[in-house]
Amino acid sequence: MLEIKGVSYCYQQGKPVVDNVSLTVEPGEFVAIAGRNGSGKTTLTRLIMSLIKPANGQIILNGVDTARQSPGDIARHVGYVFQNPDSQIFRDTVASETAYGPEQLGFTAQEIAASVAEALERTGLTALADAYPRNLSRGQKQRVAIASALAMKPDILILDEPTSGQDAAEKENLMRILTELNAEGKTIILVTHDMDILARFTKRAVVMASGVKVFDGTVTELFGQYANVQKWGLREPAIMNISRNLAKYGVSPDLTATAFSRQIIDMLQGGRA
Amino acid sequence: MKAISFENFSYAYPKSEVVLNKLCFEVKKGSFTAIVGPSGAGKTTLCMAAAGVVPHYFGGRSAGSVVVQGVRTMDSTMGELAKDVALVLEDYESQLVAMTVEEEVAFGLENACVDPKLISSMVQETLQLVGLAGREQQEVGGLSGGQKQRLALAGALVTKPEILILDEPASALDPEGAAELYDLLGRLNKQGMTILVVEHEIARVLPHIDQLVLLLNGSIAVADQPETALRKMNDEGLFPEAIPPLLELRFLLEKSGYRFGTWRCEADAVRELSAVLKEAEEVSQSA
Amino acid sequence: MNKLAPLTKLIFTVAVSVWAMLLTSLLGLGLLAVAQILLLAALGLLKRTYKGILSLTFFAALLVLIQYALGSNLEAAVAGGLRMIDMATVFVILLATTKMQSLTTALVSQCRVPQEYAFMFTTALRFIPDFLAESKAVREAQACRGYTGKGSIVRRFTSYLALVGPLVLRAVSRSETMALSLELRGFGAGRRSFSKDVGLRLRDYCTLAGMVAVTAGFTAGRMIYGW
Repeated sequence: MLEIKGVSYCYQQGKPVVDNVSLTVEPGEFVAIAGRNGSGKTTLTRLIMSLIKPANGQIILNGVDTARQSPGDIARHVGYVFQNPDSQIFRDTVASETAYGPEQLGFTAQEIAASVAEALERTGLTALADAYPRNLSRGQKQRVAIASALAMKPDILILDEPTSGQDAAEKENLMRILTELNAEGKTIILVTHDMDILARFTKRAVVMASGVKVFDGTVTELFGQYANVQKWGLREPAIMNISRNLAKYGVSPDLTATAFSRQIIDMLQGGRA
Repeated sequence: MKAISFENFSYAYPKSEVVLNKLCFEVKKGSFTAIVGPSGAGKTTLCMAAAGVVPHYFGGRSAGSVVVQGVRTMDSTMGELAKDVALVLEDYESQLVAMTVEEEVAFGLENACVDPKLISSMVQETLQLVGLAGREQQEVGGLSGGQKQRLALAGALVTKPEILILDEPASALDPEGAAELYDLLGRLNKQGMTILVVEHEIARVLPHIDQLVLLLNGSIAVADQPETALRKMNDEGLFPEAIPPLLELRFLLEKSGYRFGTWRCEADAVRELSAVLKEAEEVSQSA
Repeated sequence: MNKLAPLTKLIFTVAVSVWAMLLTSLLGLGLLAVAQILLLAALGLLKRTYKGILSLTFFAALLVLIQYALGSNLEAAVAGGLRMIDMATVFVILLATTKMQSLTTALVSQCRVPQEYAFMFTTALRFIPDFLAESKAVREAQACRGYTGKGSIVRRFTSYLALVGPLVLRAVSRSETMALSLELRGFGAGRRSFSKDVGLRLRDYCTLAGMVAVTAGFTAGRMIYGW
């Protein structure tokens, strides 16, 4: 369990980048953190990982205050997947790259082999175990980064915009992997500004604006607040926009094309009965 | 009139397999064309071919030709092509060469031997256009990712190219930034610039484009007007994940027998569905 | 000083180096160093550059000790150290008072240095902040995978690869993209214009004349008085 209590952080003259934010994430949740560029969402996750220390407030991970801990200590419980996998990949094969984390944490040789195999399996990389990571596509590299984090067996996985720059098929694949991991009990915290992904896959959304937590609730509640969605720099998913604008005909809000098309067809055919 | 024409163009990087396979399509003058496709399909190579980077810069093997403004790229040089074609690369950070914002934008003009007296005002104008006004003296190293991406675009726009090619120009921008960027490109297109853009999110470009090209494994699977192209993708299951929800909705409704006009954005859908629902209401009321 | 053309400042750098070679007396070399430091102070640049000057002095002192230990007499060793300070300080003055772009413009348009070589400097400088940021990103990414940088010397050395690896790979890929980008923007295709005006004005010619006079003076001084 992760508790963030009244945390603030400031690295620009006087203006807090994270301003008195409190948040609790229970085990097994799938939370999205959204907001404009510069809203503080990435900084918040860096605070969780102890890459930077809060100026005020506390972060309590599994009952322990993380103030004195290093990112390496926290890595045992929280896996962080950075936006740019090129910042970390340096070994010759996908398997050895994935093994780096467990090696650093002091796993035994058998533990390493087992957790690497499992991590590659979960991310669909088993066939690429001997591939040279630098030659892989962006999506594949991102999966290597996820496998590298998974191999350390964390309970929580934080991902910073993992789908940026990826094609639609890779995005689907990635989100499917995260959904499966979540179904098995992993807590997922996803920083994203892809509203379609947020709408389709996550249950809970936290929105940051100018360093302040301005929303924390379900995705449906979030998109019910159209004016705020605009104010916070988020984009309304297309289907949500259409259903909202047709409300006067008795249309209720929907997030996906499939659900909405069914609703419309029912309405139109029901009307003609 | 054709701005760019691919005539049976094939290409392979040195010591590598064929990346582009007998490409045959054209970009008309004044067109706004989007290239989509899975990673590794060859989209970046296609952009580079249009700017003459392949084969001039990388060597490799090629067949067929790419004709830009009536000249075969093979018969020209990158320097010559640079006069009419500007290419903004995906790795925008490495594309920035100068210390300050002003110097960066002026670079292209200096290379083109533009009169120094005119440079300053042209730089200012272009920075204004991309939303970086007043930042002339700022150091490039200190800019955010989104600002750097806009700066790379400014560097390309300042030379007033006839043809602008962009490889994922909104990757570092948030939704607001991306919308602003594509609005700007839309305006430039209306003023006559031919634009070729590689983009993963079709919904972002849909309101502006007149041609959608789907590249699969180095070959053109579809090259047509957006609606026709997306319909083909839907009907034949070609990279269907990329179809934006707006059109996914349309195709689902069409399966149940409904017909609609052109849908480029949510407003179009709202307008037409409103009409249909209103009619149904009236019908049921009068029944 | 700021208003002088870059070419004049470049020539000044050469001139001071020549003077440092011409002068032999400790007094002369010492005064030259002091004069330069006073110049930096007068221009208000001492605060920015004093750390560099201090490190230079430290290395010069080291050089003197080594030379003395290796057998040369004290006076010659100190002279050597002072020469080093003189010649290095003038570079500090050059770089602190001249914008990089003006310098490269002068090198290309007035000194006939090929564009590609002159630009090497600007682009190297341009990448320093990016490189530092990347280096930080790599350290953080690996820290999140348990990299600590502790342990025996051997272990630290081998584990350092985790930091150096991605950086080097990234740097190579960047430089490739940069080279391509330069060509795409028409660099090196022949003549170019320059935004920065680096022409010589009256004050430059006066300064150049002054430098010639001083050089003549030092030459005479050395020949006649053994300065």
